[in-house]
Amino acid sequence: MESAQKKDVPVVTVLDPKFKYEVAREPGGENIKYCFQCGTCTSGCKVAEFDSKYNPRKIIRMVILGMRERVLSGDFIWLCATCYTCHERCPQDVRIPEVMNALKNIAVREGYIHPAFRAQAELIAGYGRLYEVDELANEKRTDWGLTEIPQGCPEVAEIYGITGLADLLSGGAGGKL
Amino acid sequence: MPSMLQDTGFDARIGVYVCHCGLNIAGVVDVEAVRESARFLEGVVVVRDNRYTCSEVGQKGIADDIKEFMLNRVVIASCSPRLHEKTFRTLLEKSGLNPHLLEMANIREHCSWVHYDNHEAATEKAKGLVHSSVARARLLQPLSRTKGRVVPEVMVVGGGVAGISASLYLGGMGIKTYLVEREPSIGGHMAMLDKTFPTLDCSLCILSPKMVEVAECENIKVLSYSEIEKVEGQVGDFRVQVRRKPRYVNEEKCVGCGDCVAKCPVKVKDDFNRNMGTRKAIYIPFPQAIPPAYVIDDQNCRYLTQGKCKICQAVCERGAIEYDQTSYVETIEVGAIIVATGFQPYDPRGLPQYGYGRFPNVITSLDFERLICADGPTYGKLKRPGDSQVPKRVAFIQCVGSRSVASGCRGYGLDAETGSSVGATDPKAYCSRVCCMITAKQAFMVKEKYPDAEVYVYYIDMRTAGKGFEEFYQRGRHEGIVFLRGKPGEIEERDDGCLRIISEDLDSGCILDLCFDMVVLAQGLTPPDGLVEFAQKMNLSRSEDGFLMEGHPKLRPAETAIDGIYLAGCVQFPKDIPDSVAQAGAAAAAAAVTCSKESIEIDPLGPVIDEALCIGCKLCEMLCPYGAIKVELTDKGPKAKSIEVACKGCGVCGASCSTRAITMKHYTDSQLTAQAKAILEVV
Ligand SMILES: Cc1cc2nc3c(=O)[nH]c(=O)nc-3n(C[C@H](O)[C@H](O)[C@H](O)COP(=O)(O)OP(=O)(O)OC[C@H]3O[C@@H](n4cnc5c(N)ncnc54)[C@H](O)[C@@H]3O)c2cc1C
Ligand code: SF4
Ligand code: SF4
Repeated sequence: MESAQKKDVPVVTVLDPKFKYEVAREPGGENIKYCFQCGTCTSGCKVAEFDSKYNPRKIIRMVILGMRERVLSGDFIWLCATCYTCHERCPQDVRIPEVMNALKNIAVREGYIHPAFRAQAELIAGYGRLYEVDELANEKRTDWGLTEIPQGCPEVAEIYGITGLADLLSGGAGGKL
Repeated sequence: MPSMLQDTGFDARIGVYVCHCGLNIAGVVDVEAVRESARFLEGVVVVRDNRYTCSEVGQKGIADDIKEFMLNRVVIASCSPRLHEKTFRTLLEKSGLNPHLLEMANIREHCSWVHYDNHEAATEKAKGLVHSSVARARLLQPLSRTKGRVVPEVMVVGGGVAGISASLYLGGMGIKTYLVEREPSIGGHMAMLDKTFPTLDCSLCILSPKMVEVAECENIKVLSYSEIEKVEGQVGDFRVQVRRKPRYVNEEKCVGCGDCVAKCPVKVKDDFNRNMGTRKAIYIPFPQAIPPAYVIDDQNCRYLTQGKCKICQAVCERGAIEYDQTSYVETIEVGAIIVATGFQPYDPRGLPQYGYGRFPNVITSLDFERLICADGPTYGKLKRPGDSQVPKRVAFIQCVGSRSVASGCRGYGLDAETGSSVGATDPKAYCSRVCCMITAKQAFMVKEKYPDAEVYVYYIDMRTAGKGFEEFYQRGRHEGIVFLRGKPGEIEERDDGCLRIISEDLDSGCILDLCFDMVVLAQGLTPPDGLVEFAQKMNLSRSEDGFLMEGHPKLRPAETAIDGIYLAGCVQFPKDIPDSVAQAGAAAAAAAVTCSKESIEIDPLGPVIDEALCIGCKLCEMLCPYGAIKVELTDKGPKAKSIEVACKGCGVCGASCSTRAITMKHYTDSQLTAQAKAILEVV
């Protein structure tokens, strides 16, 4: 365990100085080390305004310090809305939303997938889209003179197989969160 | 005797010295291997390696070898010739050899420093460079240096506090000095400031006595409203063409009574007051201007643009108005030039998220100086531009245009009046160095004038290194200025005109959502307008940050790579007034050293023209960037002639001559080919 909880104060006793290089090697994470903690990202972040769990500056700080477990297992890295406001303004060109993607990619490989994302992935695997197309919808389409939409999408399932996403979802992986 | 050994009729006897430079070279390059690889090269008589070749011991070793082995060529593999070529040439000269029989291989900057992560490749490259230097050394010829004259006068370009100080130092030493200023008055940015940190003395009260001193010093001639058109020549002997713009007012006759201003019917925005007030078409930028003469703004004068008016001429009792003045070029000869063209404040329209130019109550630090200044558009009352109310809550935002590698939003900035996009520039990566103290000062001044006002400063880091600076910053905190760590992402203007800033307060961990009556953006300092073209005219290099490059970042901060041209003030990098004045002193001293010489030795580089081959085609004349080669009519037809004093030895003529009539001294075709061949053999 890299951190223990003393009442509600997080006490960190072990830091992994290599974590930041790991993130920097991941596509999207290249510029993470440039951050000089100015707070511009958080000041304009619409998610941070609503949810104190999400603070892009702090997440980057935690990565640079090397709180590997805490970051990868946290659900906060999944909260970025990828609006790119911070990306536009960050004076050090850290490309925060892309850093979040890099972190999510590492997290998934480590077996952490946020339940909401997991549910979405499963929906897409089944229907090829984020919602089910039912009989009623196709009846309406026929009335309007549109072609019917197939209800399943085996090609997507195939892509899941090739990319290894299927294994991630069905195997134990992804279940840690 | 040594001089006979130089004769090319003799075989070359070369000594090769490979330097460790402590661990600078030896930490990466295998110095012994490089030394051994040169041992059996043709002409090499002795090879050695030294810990420090430039040291007394190192130099003595070479001098002894020259005697003992009767060396007639020396190859030194060490640092850049920029650093030590002079040292070693002097050594050769003292040892009885012609100084041009030296060849240096730069195995530090070109090998160990750039390839620090690949020792093997660095060593191989060093061998290649040493072999090629030996090949060239075999073909080196003794050359004799010529002497150039020294004009004991100096030109200072830019009349800000740096240029003013440099001129006063030089004038005080009895050196005739020309002070060239682009604007109608000298003074620069310091003339626009209200007070100066950390002592809060009134800026013009300390600057104007110096300006008056300039006007009164008989050794200083101020050329205001003038710009440099062209520079020719070299150290000791520059010819500078200065374009004098028409003032339309005779400087000698004008007594500054101001009758003309009262009657002039044209009112325009006052650029000296950052467009916040108005002035007339005939004006003086500020009351203490030097020269104290009025000037007509020919873009706005009714007579000069529409052909009728002449009211000022009618009211001027001294007959000083001269509408028929035209611009002309004056050529001035000087021995040295000091460049002190200052800076330009960053235009925050490049960062549209802060709304400068769109929201009237978002201003810059320079705007603030004019607003709070007794001589400014509001006579020193801090009235915000939007509605002339005195703000109760003021915010300052630091690092606007500094410390940022993100590209700004080029062209997105909107002009307040026209609504059109303006070509705003990118923010800069460097720290502008003075803005933290500027804000500390301005925040303090708000509190001083309006003790009840709330003042907040948003910052990333506060940098207050300097004599009395940290103390001043702490004093501001004690006075109640609130410093907030965390940079805001944007400013929003609410319907009631208030300016809303959301930020993360890093210290409390809270998100702050605050409203202000006025926001001051601490704009960074950027290179002055037109510096790119100016540097080209002077042949000066700029550093990555866009400012002019100094001769050496530590040891020659007031010099440039061009002998005889010196730097002072912000044109080298952002700095405050004391540092600008200090550098002006250094530049003045360096220029005075140049002017004190009776003559200057000129490197004998340049073209040798074989008249038999020259067909007078003039290609070289057209291409030479220094006007140093001219085709003249001789009794054998038109032939190219070199003008030695103007030539910088760049080699363009030699490379371009289609009949190969031109050979460059010290860089002959055979020398360069031998050098290239030797490198290719190693690779
Ligand atoms: C808002 C603000 C507040 C400041 N407050 C303080 C303070 O309180 N204390 C302090 O120590 N420092 C302060 N500074 C910094 C101070 O202004 C500079 O240190 C100082 O002005 C530098 O002087 P300079 O002569 O190098 O440049 P400048 O003042 O910029 O002068 C350069 C001169 O060269 C002229 N010029 C430019 N290009 C050419 C050309 N091509 N040909 C001829 N002439 C040319 C310009 O017209 C100008 O007159 C402040 C700066 C700003 C922006
Ligand atoms: S805006 Fe960029 S530099 Fe500033 S804290 Fe966020 S990531 Fe770091
Ligand atoms: S991209 Fe993500 S981190 Fe950046 S402002 Fe938008 S939601 Fe916040």
